[in-house]
Amino acid sequence: MSTLIAHSSILIIAVTLATAFLTPLVGIASKRARNTLIVLALAFVAFLVVALARDVMLNQIHVYTLGAAAPDLTIPGGAIVPVRIILEVDGLSAFMGIVIAIVSLVAVIYSMSALKTETGQNGFYTLLLLMAAGMFGMVFTGDLFNLFVFLEITSISGAALIAFRTKFADSQEGGFKYIVVSAVASLMILFAIGLLYSQYNLLNIGALAATMEYTMLDRIALVILMSAFVMKLGGVPLHMWLSDTYSVAPASIPALLIVASQASLYALLRTSFTLYGVTLDQSVAGWIIIIVGLLSMFVGVTMAIRQTDITRLIAYNCVCESGFMLVGLGVGLAVLADPGALDAFGTMAMNGAVFHMINHALFEGLLFLVAGAIFYRIGTRDLNQMCGLGHTMKLTSVLFLLGALASAGIPPFNGFASKILIYESVYQFNPILTIIGILVSILTLAVFMKVFFSAFTGASLPRYRDVREVPRPMVAAMIVLAAGIIFFGLFPGLVLDWIVQPATDALVNQGVYIDAIMGAVP
Amino acid sequence: MSLLIEAGYEFWNPIIWLIAFAVLMALVFLFRKRGQAKYKKDTDQTRIFLCGEEVPEAEQRYVRGGNVYWGFFETLKEYYNGVVRPHTGVVNDYVIWFVAVTAISAIVLFIVELAR
Repeated sequence: MSTLIAHSSILIIAVTLATAFLTPLVGIASKRARNTLIVLALAFVAFLVVALARDVMLNQIHVYTLGAAAPDLTIPGGAIVPVRIILEVDGLSAFMGIVIAIVSLVAVIYSMSALKTETGQNGFYTLLLLMAAGMFGMVFTGDLFNLFVFLEITSISGAALIAFRTKFADSQEGGFKYIVVSAVASLMILFAIGLLYSQYNLLNIGALAATMEYTMLDRIALVILMSAFVMKLGGVPLHMWLSDTYSVAPASIPALLIVASQASLYALLRTSFTLYGVTLDQSVAGWIIIIVGLLSMFVGVTMAIRQTDITRLIAYNCVCESGFMLVGLGVGLAVLADPGALDAFGTMAMNGAVFHMINHALFEGLLFLVAGAIFYRIGTRDLNQMCGLGHTMKLTSVLFLLGALASAGIPPFNGFASKILIYESVYQFNPILTIIGILVSILTLAVFMKVFFSAFTGASLPRYRDVREVPRPMVAAMIVLAAGIIFFGLFPGLVLDWIVQPATDALVNQGVYIDAIMGAVP
Repeated sequence: MSLLIEAGYEFWNPIIWLIAFAVLMALVFLFRKRGQAKYKKDTDQTRIFLCGEEVPEAEQRYVRGGNVYWGFFETLKEYYNGVVRPHTGVVNDYVIWFVAVTAISAIVLFIVELAR
């Protein structure tokens, strides 16, 4: 078991990648065997992620050097800097790994029924697994160039998945927009990495952080990295692509795209907290993130309430929820250099934001799956065409209500647990932020009451009288997310202690990340 | 390790909330039980009465999603005119926004540095 854990970080990526390339081969022989292979592989990966996360929580950081005599031999004999590809998993990476593992597995189970009649399923699952591998790579890698490579893998497979249903013109347009936006962001990230490499001859994040001098070029690289990651995570005013793409993807894919956005948020945090860390002007950078967060919250929710396409509405709500995370993390970054404020409310603000990341993946993922279930049965996303579906899709309507209440921060669901942490801690930094947050939550409730009223209540329309619940695997996938929402809502203390606090500690303690790589340097 | 959130003056225990909710639900159930018991499904008791007029078909008598919160949008018309305009759906515009935000962030960062 200890050997398995020692190699787990690379195994998680390798098993997902290998399954991606095996899928079309096995799929030619048997669809059933292909589906079994994918589920088993992702279940094994989820097991590895949990084992790795437990190891990280107990024994601090996990380092894996590819090609070295021992996995923790980060700097070869005679060298003073790391030169190999290094995976570095701390509390935050492990936390993100758990989110990716859960959502990937749920998305696969849902897709097996939702796309049963579609052609090209072998390609679909290959792309889905490639996307999962890309996201695992993004959050586990310890160097900037591999971050770029894995970001590219995630973006290209994501764009292909969005455009998967080629019979719909808007899907192809959505895929095109996603790849253009992603390519621009990726190229700018590569340019910023080039700026850093040209000065320090380093690509490893820990080694770069140890030698960072915060020169003019470093500042330019910081601005480019921050803007690119904010665009990839869908922060206002760089969010406009998000609703155009999420809304046209197959139902299970937006759930994965949310996690891909969060992987970009992870990269933003890794850049600002770990790479730049103490050298950064944290107050200014923190306030920039807070302002982007506030704009995301307000513009996201006010645009969501206006939509009549259910998936576009949920996509705008994703922008809004990202704003909550950005505000919490921005406050944490703004007070990072002030130990008193950090202890008093900064850490709690970051706890709330990190907790909200996993909550967001659960409830927003559930809402997208419900929207997909509605589209699966009635063939439209237009709220103007819906009415009285609650008569025939009772379970789906309950699941929607659950996701909606969690998103609006209504107790006792998970959204409330993370939002109350953000409200109370952010209030001590600046009360206006909390007031805006509560107002936005009220508007979020109004957004989803509009959907619930339009789609599920009212008289049963004759054309929808024969509508039934969706097939069991789709229901099972939705129930898994719903169970997560309830569990995380009822036992927030457990989640905070086990996975959230270690992730926040990893953000705050830049030195631990650096020492894990540079510890061997005399 | 605890099941609740407790830090500073933050306290949230969902189990207490659930107990309070269950008590409230029990009270609601008791009140409901004391209500009229002569309700008959699928009789005139449950049919829509519209001052004796003919009741329109279900298709014609519901408020569509697009009409919900009409007053809210009417009041905030100016805001929505401004906020919807940048959402052109044209990917070139999205890239221009990216360039603009990067430039503005850089300027802010450098002005702050110069001011110090």
